[in-house]
Amino acid sequence: MPVPKMSNLRNSIDRPLLFAGLFIIAILVVGTVYTLIFEGNAALLSPTYLILQLKVASFLGIVAAGMMIVVLLGHIDLSVPWTMTASAMLAAAVGGPFAIPIGLGVGLAIGLFNGIGVAYLRVPSMIFTLGVNVMLRGFMVMLTGGFSPSSVPTDAMLWLAKGEIIGIPNPVIVWALISLAVAFMLRRMPLGRYIYAIGNREAAVYLSGVNTRLVVVASFALCSTLAAFAGILLAGYSSKAFQAMGDPYLLPSIAAVVIGGTNILGGAGRYAGTVVGTILIVLLQSVLSVMQMPEAGRQIIYGVVIVIMLLAYGRGQRLRV
Amino acid sequence: MEVLDTGPAAPLLEMRGIGKSYGGVAALDEVDFSAHASSIHAVLGENGAGKSTLIKIISGAIAPDRGTMSFDGRPITVADPQAANAVGIVTVFQELSVIPDLSVADNISITRPPKRLGLIDRRAQRRRAEELLARVGCEDVNPRARVGDLPLSRRQMVEIAKALGRDPKLLILDEATSALTAADVERVYTILHRLRDDGLALLYISHRMHEIEELADTISVFRNGRHISTFAKGTQSDDQIVQMMIGRDVSNVYPPKPVRTEPPPVELEVSRLGWTDRLSDISFTLGKGEIVGLGGLDGQGQREVLLALFGVLRNVSGTVRVFDHKGVPRSPVVATRPDHAMALIPEDRKTEGLMLPMSISDNISLTSLKWLSRGFVIDGTAEKNAVDGMIEKLRIKIGNPDDAVATLSGGNQQKVVIAKWLLTGPRILLLNDPTRGIDVGTKEEIYRLLRELADAGTSIILYSTDYDELIGCCDRVLILYGGRIVQTLEGDAITETNIVASSFNLPVESEAAAEPVRPQ
Repeated sequence: MPVPKMSNLRNSIDRPLLFAGLFIIAILVVGTVYTLIFEGNAALLSPTYLILQLKVASFLGIVAAGMMIVVLLGHIDLSVPWTMTASAMLAAAVGGPFAIPIGLGVGLAIGLFNGIGVAYLRVPSMIFTLGVNVMLRGFMVMLTGGFSPSSVPTDAMLWLAKGEIIGIPNPVIVWALISLAVAFMLRRMPLGRYIYAIGNREAAVYLSGVNTRLVVVASFALCSTLAAFAGILLAGYSSKAFQAMGDPYLLPSIAAVVIGGTNILGGAGRYAGTVVGTILIVLLQSVLSVMQMPEAGRQIIYGVVIVIMLLAYGRGQRLRV
Repeated sequence: MEVLDTGPAAPLLEMRGIGKSYGGVAALDEVDFSAHASSIHAVLGENGAGKSTLIKIISGAIAPDRGTMSFDGRPITVADPQAANAVGIVTVFQELSVIPDLSVADNISITRPPKRLGLIDRRAQRRRAEELLARVGCEDVNPRARVGDLPLSRRQMVEIAKALGRDPKLLILDEATSALTAADVERVYTILHRLRDDGLALLYISHRMHEIEELADTISVFRNGRHISTFAKGTQSDDQIVQMMIGRDVSNVYPPKPVRTEPPPVELEVSRLGWTDRLSDISFTLGKGEIVGLGGLDGQGQREVLLALFGVLRNVSGTVRVFDHKGVPRSPVVATRPDHAMALIPEDRKTEGLMLPMSISDNISLTSLKWLSRGFVIDGTAEKNAVDGMIEKLRIKIGNPDDAVATLSGGNQQKVVIAKWLLTGPRILLLNDPTRGIDVGTKEEIYRLLRELADAGTSIILYSTDYDELIGCCDRVLILYGGRIVQTLEGDAITETNIVASSFNLPVESEAAAEPVRPQ
């Protein structure tokens, strides 16, 4: 690999990586101290526990990978929850060998629709994707008549989500492969370069003869397809595709991207940060529940952590110049 | 520097050693300047001479890097426009500051409305507006009228009335008459003379020489950020004043122009180009290896011509032929395709030319990633070689190609913009005021580069706000006025006099003059 070109941004991005990494260690230390005192073991450091956490993190991680692409552009995709739900439910409803392709196709179609709305109709992405999310919810309620249909995932979906290869859960392998692909795209492909460039200054990229609309559409399509994939995996993991199954993934996916050091206004951020951000969020939630923190307390701590991490990064530096 | 004392009294405003730089370029350099009460003082100079910077410093819009100011015998620092107003310095800027949706009376009292019981006293506000409008001879304007409904010239008078409402001792008018009709200008003169007789000091910035003749008592000339001279009206001829403004030998900054025996093959043919009400009936041709200039006052449609040709504007009428292709390019994507091979150096490099936080290398290669890639993957080695080649060719002074482009000086940033386009090998190069805000040395390099490119067969359209550049660089100059081409100057007819005259849509004095003609 040649020297990464975003070196000028490295100072501002390495800090989030470092912070998030240290925070992950802090969470494990605090959790282990707790379990040592109250349960007399160090369960949080066992490979079983850590691999389970990675498995749980893989669903969020795949959603966050897609979300990061869109955030790098300076946009956001709020339709992720029902993209996951719709893809998973339709995949399960169709069943058979085409379940997974159909699910991914639904995600791709939603992404293209989002992209066209944002790039060609010039609707702000926050509004457009919020609308699409509500529309999708309506569609799914209409299709299912308000009941959860008997939507059992196919064997392939179950295998992808629950199987394992030499002790590594399949979702973790899928997440790793997707991560490699996204990181490669962002760093080595023209599309990736255009995504960063548009996030910094769309006008300059447009005037450079780049088809910026196409880049935006492609990014939204990737984001939604990845969300759909996560939804399909999640259906397999839960052995069921059900209404609102994607709802708990919206805010954590954005938080993972931002905690990982990606500028919420676009243009800067490393993919590794998103992976670390994802692990941080999943571990934090898990350790808090191990410590039997009541739900209200967990949410407060979760929110406080996000705010503190962002303050620690020095938000002002990387605003659009 | 010769300074002529214009009155026995001590000056109202006195500035000593004022300096202001932008990114290493001195906008004002060691300027001493003073203005007296009961006098109309005109400030003259070319674009970029430092007039606007001077005005902005006096009015508190920007802070000087060096120097001291005193007003009414007391040293002052004007941190912001409010502080300037407080001591009695009021400025009427070229761009109107009136709010179109408010009434005349509201606008006039916008900063200090008369109050009763803590609320705005509308009756008192109207009375005040009537008084002030009377002072500027605009009794016919209804204080209740919405400003947006008034004609432009009346709005300008409201602006002046608003300024008078702040009780100025020093009133600065920056190109305040550029929007006025001849009859209104007369009226403004009368008012300004009356204000002078009331004891005000007036600073007057204008590009119109004859206005200054009629109006000013004292004239100061600025050039390249320096105060060249101050003298009483009538002591210097127009010729001498123009010489002071131009001041340097223009010829050796620019590379020589080639002598053509026959017209070059036409690469770009524009006929009857129009766009909304900003462009109409634009027709011209661009030959291979020619540099064609677009001139005229700012904002007469030059920018739009370039944007239209580059496919940025929607609903452009007329026809364009680029090489063998007929039709206006639909988008920059089309304009930059190899069969059009166009490039546009945009007006504002910071917002249209560069992604400032990204690296120099990323910025340069952005236009060329298609051919720097194998399949869907960027070829790192090819990219590095291409970028390094451009940095060397344009002699861009950088530490490391991976540094953010924001760390470079203005001149080097502009070179990065040029580099990213030269990397595409353009056959038609459009430049929108490419030397704005960059240092003289880099300017000269750019002039040489343009001529080298033209000699190598690139066809160039250059819009510049600097007349010298048009004279020094261009084989032909098209002067735009109100969105039309009003004059085409060629060869020796490209003189400052002719450019200025046709910029105001006046007949040129000598269209094919053998030697440059200075205004009489």
